[in-house]
Amino acid sequence: MASSTVAGALLTGGSRLPCSSSQIPRKLSSSSSSPLLCLNNGDLSAPYNSPLRLSRGRVQTTLRSNSKSLAVGKGAEDGFVSDVSEDSDEMFDDLFNKYGKVVYKSDDVKSPSAEVDDDAESLAFAVEMAKVASEVKAGDIKVLFVKPLVYWTRFFIITTAFSRPQIDAIGSRMRDLAEKKYGRVANGDVKPNAWTLLDYGDVVIHIFLPPQRTFYNLEDFYGNAMSVPLPFQDEPPPRS
Amino acid sequence: MIQPQTYLNVADNSGARKLMCIRIIGASNRRYAHIGDVIVAVIKEAIPNTPLERSEVIRAVIVRTCKELKRKNGTIIRYDDNAAVVIDQEGNPKGTRVFGAIPRELRQLNFTKIVSLAPEVL
Repeated sequence: MASSTVAGALLTGGSRLPCSSSQIPRKLSSSSSSPLLCLNNGDLSAPYNSPLRLSRGRVQTTLRSNSKSLAVGKGAEDGFVSDVSEDSDEMFDDLFNKYGKVVYKSDDVKSPSAEVDDDAESLAFAVEMAKVASEVKAGDIKVLFVKPLVYWTRFFIITTAFSRPQIDAIGSRMRDLAEKKYGRVANGDVKPNAWTLLDYGDVVIHIFLPPQRTFYNLEDFYGNAMSVPLPFQDEPPPRS
Repeated sequence: MIQPQTYLNVADNSGARKLMCIRIIGASNRRYAHIGDVIVAVIKEAIPNTPLERSEVIRAVIVRTCKELKRKNGTIIRYDDNAAVVIDQEGNPKGTRVFGAIPRELRQLNFTKIVSLAPEVL
């Protein structure tokens, strides 16, 4: 009975199955005592072996389509279908033992290389902004890489301006450059403020007056963040 | 759901301990305030020897509510208490550090300063 079932399945379902998987049961059926089990194992392990990153759902759909084709080939015997489900449970147990648990990943996770590219882009933007601040004579410019500490941004630029007009100058210059060169618009303060904040998403710029800088002491709060060395800080100040 | 007469905890080190909402900034007859809204509040309890005193009227941003906050992705956030951060007229926080977890919606509402002082952002 069992051998006839397999033969029927192979005849009808063979055309649908890929080459490799249809060959495997033939090889195994000669050596094994229960050909049905071998057919299932051979069939279902084939997609698992080639692309290992297939999710569990995909494997299950493969299983269902195979069992459907087999059931059609035999004329949908109930006993046969229940055999398939029992085998599939065993098979999944085997697969879990072999490969461990299937881990689901969301699709929006970026690859590490894309992440590094984005970091480099943000770093270039942050350094450019710090350079603008230095051109307008802002004091004590620091670029901090805060991505390891907070998830919501990558870089902080913390700088001191010595008057509100200077804050205005720094802020408007930064906005102009970001819009012209990078096409980015800042959220945050529009008017000059004692603590002016420009939020570009991955780069957040804080411009403080000296008393506010010591009061809030953001560098201390983000003390574990890596400080990015700035190219223009090494140059000696121009002599007048 | 914060309305006038609601008591709130203070989630920063400004020196105030308890606030009572007396007005919600926004539309003329607004009934309730939620996370990210600015309220006018009176300090009901304060830590001694700090710049803020009892019965002072201040502005504050609501950062946590017992009423759940729903996100578009289906997440629901509900805190154990109602809490606010004291700000000045310009929107700068009066304290230097924010305590407890705060939601990321505050950043979209232009309170990035509060977010950058917070230890944890949900």
